[in-house]
Amino acid sequence: MKAQAKEADERLLIEAAQKDPARFVELYEENFERVYAFVSRRVDSRADVEDITAEVFHQALANIAKFEWRGVPFAAWLYRIAANAIADRWQRASREQGNPGSDATDRSESFDVEKSERAARLFGLVNKLPEDQRRVIEMRFAEEKSIREIAQTLGRTPGAVKQLQFRGIQSLRAQFEKEPGKKLSRSHG
Amino acid sequence: MANQTQGEQLDKVIERLLGPAAAPLSPADTARTFDVTLAPVIEIIRDLKNLPRPDFRTRLKTDVERRASMASSAKAVEAVRTTVTPYLSVRDAAAAIEFYKKAFGATEVARLMQPDGRVGHAEINIDGARIMLADEFPEIGFRSPESLGGSPVNIHLDVPDVDAVARRALAAGAKVVRPVADQFYGDRSGQLSDPFGYTWTVSTHKETLTIEEMQRRMDQMSRQERSISAPAPVKFIREGFHTITPYLIISGAAQWIDFVKQAFDAEEYFRAKRPDAEDVIMHAEVKIGDSMIELADANPQFPAMPSTLLLRVDDPDAVYNRALEAGATVMQPIADAPYGSRGGTVLDVAGNRLHISKPIGAGLDIFKGFRSVTPHLYAQRPVDLIEFLQRAFGGEETYRAEMPDGSIPHAQVRIGDSIVALAGGHGAYTPMPTTLHLYVPDTDSVYEQALRAGATSLQPPADQPYGDRSAGVTDPFGNRWFIATHIRDVQM
Repeated sequence: MKAQAKEADERLLIEAAQKDPARFVELYEENFERVYAFVSRRVDSRADVEDITAEVFHQALANIAKFEWRGVPFAAWLYRIAANAIADRWQRASREQGNPGSDATDRSESFDVEKSERAARLFGLVNKLPEDQRRVIEMRFAEEKSIREIAQTLGRTPGAVKQLQFRGIQSLRAQFEKEPGKKLSRSHG
Repeated sequence: MANQTQGEQLDKVIERLLGPAAAPLSPADTARTFDVTLAPVIEIIRDLKNLPRPDFRTRLKTDVERRASMASSAKAVEAVRTTVTPYLSVRDAAAAIEFYKKAFGATEVARLMQPDGRVGHAEINIDGARIMLADEFPEIGFRSPESLGGSPVNIHLDVPDVDAVARRALAAGAKVVRPVADQFYGDRSGQLSDPFGYTWTVSTHKETLTIEEMQRRMDQMSRQERSISAPAPVKFIREGFHTITPYLIISGAAQWIDFVKQAFDAEEYFRAKRPDAEDVIMHAEVKIGDSMIELADANPQFPAMPSTLLLRVDDPDAVYNRALEAGATVMQPIADAPYGSRGGTVLDVAGNRLHISKPIGAGLDIFKGFRSVTPHLYAQRPVDLIEFLQRAFGGEETYRAEMPDGSIPHAQVRIGDSIVALAGGHGAYTPMPTTLHLYVPDTDSVYEQALRAGATSLQPPADQPYGDRSAGVTDPFGNRWFIATHIRDVQM
């Protein structure tokens, strides 16, 4: 029942965005994490991940009118756009460098999707952490700062920062196991 | 300080996983190297390596918002092209756009500025409907209601909740013209005027009605309004009739109806057949143009009494020819007559004399006030007939053509809303006594009046089952008058 309600909500959102593209922003909010997670699993450079993620949403917005509801989740459509964008980039890169295409395209997409959904859920949980834990996690992982840099920025001791980092990650783990969601972990599949 | 230790240990794991040469680290490795409780977080840390930068998320959102909004207005311009679009001229278009945004939730779609700072063209969208507007340009005659002193055009705005929209519009500066109320046609609506001189009917559809139902409710409302002000006067003339209606007593009434349908596009309104003889018409009503004609088959009590009728038509030649085709015979061929008409006379299938004509030339229209059908009476001395019509029925002489010898070839008398033509018979135009149906406000008094003027009684006043009170008299010239007052409507 809950899944159906979610599907109906998503459908309404898509229809609204097709009628008025201004409503697309809501679809962006819903799907940013999973697209970013999907791309980041296949592309190493953070700058490239950001470029491609942006490109996916630009394309999705430009083509939203073409999306037809056939019971396939909107996310699957976004993943397809992302996979194509990544493949394009590799092809372009290999042409420029004279290298043969990367074997990374051989990776199983369904495996990637499952992993991406899991990561996306984790990213969502980071946003819900208490402010100080969230800031530490973001700076440490997303902004790639050292404990010392974070300690300076926040005006805390390195030990305190490590404590916040520890509590944040333990909290994410607890939330991750507690929060009922789709079966994302391979160990349950 | 177990926590302290765990925090340090975890950071070592993180350092190793984040390192440039992040070697694979199995849970078994972790268990060997670190506290076993850290094992389950390895996956989480691996995923966190890909955590997006918060400022990227925000930046991309702003970018997507901007692009989405551009796509939205582009789509709005494209989508709301409708056949008819109001174009408002206002004294301050920029202020008007702001007002329509606040009052009606409009979105601005486009705005073109003139070098002098005036809005040369703008488009707004109210729930999918497009409205164009611009500053007034009096130099090219594009004036606002404020310059013209108002606008006769009212804009109808359908909204989901009229009360809420009206409140919002009033808060934005609109004024109430008619307060919001339930309307008989199924809407709840009110009228507002905006600060720029336009009036808006803001409406929410509540109830879907047929046009018939709306008409019924409107009639009911009008009746209620009338009953409040004054009792409704009963119309003494039956619906669709005038003061005078020719009543033809003829042989072959059914064939005659076919004839007038064919020749004059007559419409049959009513036909009562004799119960024991289906082919005998006891009473029928047909309409030619705007005029009703009643008729019945002759019987021993009322023998056939063909009449003379003047038919005023737009195309006398065509109608004349159709009458001949339908079985009439020529009495006087169609021609231009010296008194400013073109016409011809035929004898129809039942022996009635029909003069088909229309006025021509720029001269006096001697048929002024004539309906499609006007009865024609004869008298040896027309002045006597005129005098009778005046005394008996309050007639008013409206036209008289008098020859040097004193004879009257044509005269007209108005009775109520109808005119009768009359003449002294001459040549082939022998007098034809006729039967007429005369509606009056009070049958009894007119009956008495007619008798005093010289008529003889056919039947005294009595209420009739068909909704009239009527009486009958014969005038001194042989014409029969059925004097009637309509007193109630009867479904026939």
